[in-house]
Amino acid sequence: MRILWNRLSSALLVLCAASFITFTLARVIPSDPALAYIGPKATAADSAKLRITLGLDQPIPVQYFKYVWQTLHGNWGYSLSTKQPVLQEIINRLPATLELIFFAMSFAVIFGVAMGVYAAKYRGRLQDSVIRIMAIAGVSMPAFWLGLLLQMLFAGRLTWFPATGQFDIDLKYENPISKVTGFPIFDSIITGNFAATLNGLHHMVLPALTLSAYSFGLLSRMARANLLEVMSQDYIKVARAYGLSERLVFFKLALRNALPPIVTVTGLSTAYLITGTFFVEQVYNWPGIGSFAVNSLLSIDYPAIMGITLLAAVGYLVINFIVDLIHSKLDPRVWMR
Amino acid sequence: MKTKLAGLSFLFKDTLTTIATVMMSIFIGAAIFAPWIAPFPKEGAGQTNVDNIYIGPGWHHVLGTDELGRDLLSRIIYGARPALLIALAVVGFAAIIGTLLGLIAGYRGGWIDNIIMRVSELFLSFPPLLLSLVAVTFLGPGLVNALIALIISWWPWYARLIRVEASIVRSKPYVEISAAMGVPDRIIIVRHILRNVTTPLIVQIAADLGTVILAAGSLAFIGLGAQPPSADWGLMVAQGRNLIFDQWWISTFSGLAIFLAVLSFNIIGDALRDHFDPRIARQ
Amino acid sequence: MSMKTAFSSPRVRLIAVVSTALLAVASLSIPTVAQGAGVFKVATSAAVTTWDPVQSFSTEAFYMTNIYEPLLWKNPDGITPEYSPALATSWTSSKDGKTWTFKLRAGATFHDGSPVNSAAVKASFDSSKKIGGAGFIWDPLKSVETPSDDTVVLTLSYAAPMDLIASSTYGAYIVNPKALAAVAADSKYYESGKDGGSGPYTISSYKAGSSVVLSAYGKHWATDKPDYSTIDISIVPDGITAQQMMTSGQVDWSTNIPLTSMATLKKNKKYSVITYKSPFNYVGYFNTLRAPLNNPVVRQALSMALNYRDITAIGGQGYGTQARGVVPAGIYPYDPAIPQYSMARAKAKTMLDRAGVKDLKIKITYASENSAEARFVPLIKDAFAAIGVTAEVQGILFNQQWAAAKKDPANAQDLFIVKYWPTYSDAGVDNLWSLFHSSTKPFFNLSYWKNAAYDKLVDDAIELSGSDKAAAQKLYSQAMMMLYTEAPGLYLYDEAQVSVVPKKFSIPKYNINYPFSAFFAGVKLS
Repeated sequence: MRILWNRLSSALLVLCAASFITFTLARVIPSDPALAYIGPKATAADSAKLRITLGLDQPIPVQYFKYVWQTLHGNWGYSLSTKQPVLQEIINRLPATLELIFFAMSFAVIFGVAMGVYAAKYRGRLQDSVIRIMAIAGVSMPAFWLGLLLQMLFAGRLTWFPATGQFDIDLKYENPISKVTGFPIFDSIITGNFAATLNGLHHMVLPALTLSAYSFGLLSRMARANLLEVMSQDYIKVARAYGLSERLVFFKLALRNALPPIVTVTGLSTAYLITGTFFVEQVYNWPGIGSFAVNSLLSIDYPAIMGITLLAAVGYLVINFIVDLIHSKLDPRVWMR
Repeated sequence: MKTKLAGLSFLFKDTLTTIATVMMSIFIGAAIFAPWIAPFPKEGAGQTNVDNIYIGPGWHHVLGTDELGRDLLSRIIYGARPALLIALAVVGFAAIIGTLLGLIAGYRGGWIDNIIMRVSELFLSFPPLLLSLVAVTFLGPGLVNALIALIISWWPWYARLIRVEASIVRSKPYVEISAAMGVPDRIIIVRHILRNVTTPLIVQIAADLGTVILAAGSLAFIGLGAQPPSADWGLMVAQGRNLIFDQWWISTFSGLAIFLAVLSFNIIGDALRDHFDPRIARQ
Repeated sequence: MSMKTAFSSPRVRLIAVVSTALLAVASLSIPTVAQGAGVFKVATSAAVTTWDPVQSFSTEAFYMTNIYEPLLWKNPDGITPEYSPALATSWTSSKDGKTWTFKLRAGATFHDGSPVNSAAVKASFDSSKKIGGAGFIWDPLKSVETPSDDTVVLTLSYAAPMDLIASSTYGAYIVNPKALAAVAADSKYYESGKDGGSGPYTISSYKAGSSVVLSAYGKHWATDKPDYSTIDISIVPDGITAQQMMTSGQVDWSTNIPLTSMATLKKNKKYSVITYKSPFNYVGYFNTLRAPLNNPVVRQALSMALNYRDITAIGGQGYGTQARGVVPAGIYPYDPAIPQYSMARAKAKTMLDRAGVKDLKIKITYASENSAEARFVPLIKDAFAAIGVTAEVQGILFNQQWAAAKKDPANAQDLFIVKYWPTYSDAGVDNLWSLFHSSTKPFFNLSYWKNAAYDKLVDDAIELSGSDKAAAQKLYSQAMMMLYTEAPGLYLYDEAQVSVVPKKFSIPKYNINYPFSAFFAGVKLS
């Protein structure tokens, strides 16, 4: 229990400091909010008025306390460029990104681990080499480049997949998805709207593939390395010596001991995906947090930027916490750290 | 340490590593000798040639030309310079700053250790790249600002790594005895701690070089990194994005350069790690 | 071996199933979702900065001109009559130009049914003048009188062309007084997608940063009802995405297509590529506070170094024409007699030598998010290099570029590249005044030029333009000549508006006076 409290309090501290860093950065470097708020021809008088409206004329510590107070009460400010509440924008866009991450990670975990295990089995042979090259290619590939390539090839030249967007535009007129959970593809399955499901999956393939490349590479390398390390342990040799079938040795002993670190890596690479979505969503015009983040950065929309930073930091903390929790269940020694 | 690396043969231990070593040599060679290697050096450096815009890959221009008529191959060769510069600068400064702070933290312990580690954890609590993106947004786009932003994100990794190693070595008996005997801190640090820290440091640096090139390319792609007329690969991919469906070669080959550079660094990083950690290499 | 048998196991089967499923999805011929009848689908990069018609001063004009109406619309250059009646059917001005009377249209209503009357006009203009984003356009307005429900009388403190001003794309909409009251109580009233307009369309749904759906207003006064009752507009940040959505059939029409794609689209038989004049032009400011740029001869020499043909060809991708000063062609008070600089590098070098300039280093800044500037600024750098001037190019976000230029003129950039356009179709009161009239605190006069003779010419011309346009034009032309000879700026090119229209649709022509707008009421199947 004390450990839990320690974790929580340090997490809170981290969040506070994270928000403070972003806040300071935004205030220290001058940029005129009037441009994003009003438009490219905003007059000097309007700019001055706006500074007062936004409270930018007050001393920085006052501004910071106001910000913290409002944030804790659910007011994450208003986006300078869209005038919408930042928290609302984030909530609206989160499902699209989470769905994308879900499909990308599923693909990466299933294929990554499978290939890694396969490579470990056939270690030293051609299959192993091919998979190892694929894996290291996956972690070396720039996500934005892979996205553009896939877009050009499979959407531009071959037209097998749509190049952009989450759904066909006609969908909202022909087969609109009724909102149940807010996650469109899952809602379409739940409500039996399979035309929409197919359409959504059709749009999902290229972005999810692009996003999964890095995690796929990471996971297959991990899986292979872990399995090989475990297989060389003494207790495996002992088990074999006792005459246990290879199948038993492999699945019951080796895999079970090799898998826990993979959970950790899955968690870590999910966290990596958070910034990966910035590029993938931009290339594919995916209506999620990533494209929102890129637009906010480029228009220097600091309330939105701070909201995203906060969200990302929170998400990162939560993921790490869950990963530690799962890891501790599988390996009780971890809590003793 | 000298005996371990003197056998640089590990760089050629198998086909893949050999290829990677060759690619990395080409990359470094391109960066250093660009004006002599590039078929159109002036264009590589940024001079425009308006009559030659949008030529596809072919005889005269092997990889084609870009939107300002500049030979793409020359641009890509010149692009090795900012890439290598960023990689070395970011990793170099981050390693130096991180190592210094890590050493102090690990060696001294106590409240200095606490503060340095808390601050590192704070920076590490951001998802990778996010802090760099935010920092470079407010600093303004440009190569130098991207450098600063990346260094800010990278130093905590080194601080933490070195600190762990330093505190392990610090608690070893021979070090405690040395300290008790009155050997100055400076000498203990250099003679004992640094010596043991070098190996993981080198492995981390090798792994990071590729990652930094990737990160810098990502920043440039969004528009927050190097600016025209710099021949930065990430920037070139972004410039070719509007043309991806017709003049596909601009983004494709620029991105390929990033990919191959990062790939070769990663493969060599792997080989280095295997070399220093025979336990894994034995498999 | 036993390992192999161990492998014909759940894992392999799982892989097989999943890959087959993926392949199935990939090769499935997704049934094309049939076109919703009466829905016209559009993709654009026009973002909605605000839905407040009084505050609006940005790209949301794309939508606004369908939802709101001014008293009158200005017709494209060259068409007579100069204006089309909208919410006003006729208007007159007094001889001295200081009193304007507008007669309002009978039967026009706002979307909630309340009538468009003189009280609404007065409330809208008063609000705009007081707090509007482009409120400064009402500077000459002294008072608005409403002698009857259908008559509005504008009394000015100095003569000004109120017909031109009341047709402005910003700040001149007639807004439902109920909406004006609501937003006064809650500044975020409009932002969820509410409107207080009278135009042919109303906002049916709005997803910030994602989509806007407009639906036709049944009781609009126009006799010709729109063919499409629903306009579905997707907001995409990149022009290339919008283009791809159109060519793949996702949407019917896209705007903001990158100029770099025009060459390919021209070859596509499904589309017509039409070029229009636009009010946008590219200009560079020399920092006239810094030696040797304070010497007009040096500035002239630099002006003669540029290859204007290449800059227009590369920046505009073959569309656009070299600028004559800062007034775009097609906008009052453009004068085709104003001379242009052309490339004369040998002469430029001699002029620099005679002025005693050696090893000049220049810092050029431009907006990194503007792709045309990113394309042509390297050409400027090369041009200067050809006459021995070294240029350092810095691309930063416009926000920061502008902030830096305003903050510290003496140490700011040497050459500031910007894309400019007038708030409404008067480049005398806007471009000529805003860009080069002296000011104590620089706003858009980023050459920091202070010339009293020029100031007087422009100020006098502005005063005259309300009553005697011809006389005003003479003064403006003198001012523009001064800009040529003194060369405080580098006059690059007028940007062309290039529209790509699918041949199966007939879309209203681009109107230079509403440069961000599209008028959906006139879209028809051809």
